[in-house]
Amino acid sequence: MNVLLLLSGILFLLMSLIGGRKGIRSFFAIFLNFAVIMTTVFFMHDPHINPVMLTLAACVVISCINLFYINEINGKTKTAFLSTIITTVILILFITVITNKAMIQGFGEEEIEELGAFSFNIGIDFVKIAVSVIIMSTIGAITDAAIAISSPMREMQYHHPHIGRNELFRFGLSIGRDILGTSTNTLFFAFFGGYLALLIWFKDLSYSISEIVNSKVFSAELITILCAAIGVTLVIPVTSWITAYFLVKNKENS
Amino acid sequence: MNSVRSLYKKMTYKHKIFYTILICCFIGSVFFVHNNYSFYDRPIAEVIKTNIEDVTKVEDLINNEDVLYTQHIIAELKNGEEKGMEIHLINEFSQSKALDNKFEVGNELLVSIDQNIDEGKERTGTIQGVKRDKYLVIIAWVFVFVLLLVGKKQGLLSVISLVFTTTLLSFALDIYVHQSDQSLLWICGICIILFTVVSLLLVNGLNEKTYAAIIATILGTFISLLITYLALLVTGENGLRYEELQFITRPYKTVFMAGLFIGSLGAVMDVAITMSSSIFGLYEKDNNISVQALIKSGMEIGKDIMGTMTNILFFAYVSGSIPTLLLYFKNASPFGYTISVNLSLEMARALAGGIGIVITIPIGLYTTIFFVNRKKARL
Repeated sequence: MNVLLLLSGILFLLMSLIGGRKGIRSFFAIFLNFAVIMTTVFFMHDPHINPVMLTLAACVVISCINLFYINEINGKTKTAFLSTIITTVILILFITVITNKAMIQGFGEEEIEELGAFSFNIGIDFVKIAVSVIIMSTIGAITDAAIAISSPMREMQYHHPHIGRNELFRFGLSIGRDILGTSTNTLFFAFFGGYLALLIWFKDLSYSISEIVNSKVFSAELITILCAAIGVTLVIPVTSWITAYFLVKNKENS
Repeated sequence: MNSVRSLYKKMTYKHKIFYTILICCFIGSVFFVHNNYSFYDRPIAEVIKTNIEDVTKVEDLINNEDVLYTQHIIAELKNGEEKGMEIHLINEFSQSKALDNKFEVGNELLVSIDQNIDEGKERTGTIQGVKRDKYLVIIAWVFVFVLLLVGKKQGLLSVISLVFTTTLLSFALDIYVHQSDQSLLWICGICIILFTVVSLLLVNGLNEKTYAAIIATILGTFISLLITYLALLVTGENGLRYEELQFITRPYKTVFMAGLFIGSLGAVMDVAITMSSSIFGLYEKDNNISVQALIKSGMEIGKDIMGTMTNILFFAYVSGSIPTLLLYFKNASPFGYTISVNLSLEMARALAGGIGIVITIPIGLYTTIFFVNRKKARL
């Protein structure tokens, strides 16, 4: 029997037992997201489509799945959705600058050995692909932080209907600060786990510090980790502000 | 300017010292990486003039079109005996830049200088790499400042915890690499306990919430590892393509398992602390709340977080494969083969992490209730 099938089976069983219908939806969301990534990769084939724009579109679909499908369409998820998109756009601008400067696109010399038989002149702009990869690795964490902030803010307004915009914003920030440590931890450990082999490789081949720091693979990994952490941090003020703005505005209108 | 001054007045003495030291570190380190040429053994050259000499359109066997450029670069050496001299370099790059780079004036390159040059001729050399340290330092500072600006004290604690984690991991790997009789899984097991205790204490302080979260994290990680291990054992690892695991100098199964172990730890910690703080929060609001009500609310919270948490891991693992996937597809590799070669390990990691996350929800719930009951009994 295939390991992946068995692991998926176990995960499905656990999610449906513990999460009920929402758990089942969460399980299928993983595979929907997988389909989105595959579709994105498929469209990236075409050198005429800008991969960064494509990624932005993919992020919109992924946020819809993570927010509207797993949860449902309501005030909390709508503001979380808007905040996710805004943060992603800000992050894209920042990442584009840094990937262009640091030249971390494509494959490092350590990786070429195994890919030796392939033709690398495939006409796709790998600088833009590098930007897409960093954004994609962060999008899950950004939507998570956005919903984790907007949902208690709504509860707060529900219990204290006359709360002002500024106070609500500050409440959002304080929630954000509470989850900041654990969100960055989640990302850091996930990446450390993924790059464990690379770290052992550097130690085994006794790379010097200057060789490690200037190598493409290491720089690319470190920049991905740091950009991801910057993303989950930036989403905190963005979500707090947007949620506070819309919650108070809707209150005034009604 | 006035707002800056009022902000300055509002700061306490300690804050002022802290920010002064921080800004000194920032300026010092940025200045250092822009002027550290003499610390390098390898020659460094700064590009001062570039010129595209040749442009060729190419098409490979699978009809992928690309353009190859040859770039003539004149650069100035920044260190070594020939500091200040000019060097002529040839750089070939493709439009897709998968393996190469287009250089512009101001870029700093690591080069090697050709020996045995005849008198009176131009100095030539080859490009070995790009000097990337200054960008890493700048982005690391952006990270620190964003975290401090948004997170204030919690931001600082997160930075400290991350620095601690990195140092500990590097230290643990040193032990593993230099003493081959130590098993990587044991080292990782000990590391995981240390990571959990330190990160959670730093993020949440010394209190019962933290103790409950620490116990739940450790139980959750080890139980999910056991489940994954059994699943691998039962299936004989059928479907896992270890050949995809890059950078392997050691027994690959252990490295994979250890990576899986550490990778899901952060997410499991996140779930454990969310469960324990929200349940303690409910208890603190209403000391007479029944255990049944706590279980019900705890399960609701768990349902809310499980979906987005599993997706964090999924995206963090799978996205990194996008460039390789593109390379395979563009080289006309079949779909099924490409997916199974490139994504089997990533999917296994994401699924195992997901199992860890979901199983920590009830574990976290009941551990916290145990602590709540203990607190109740003491009252």
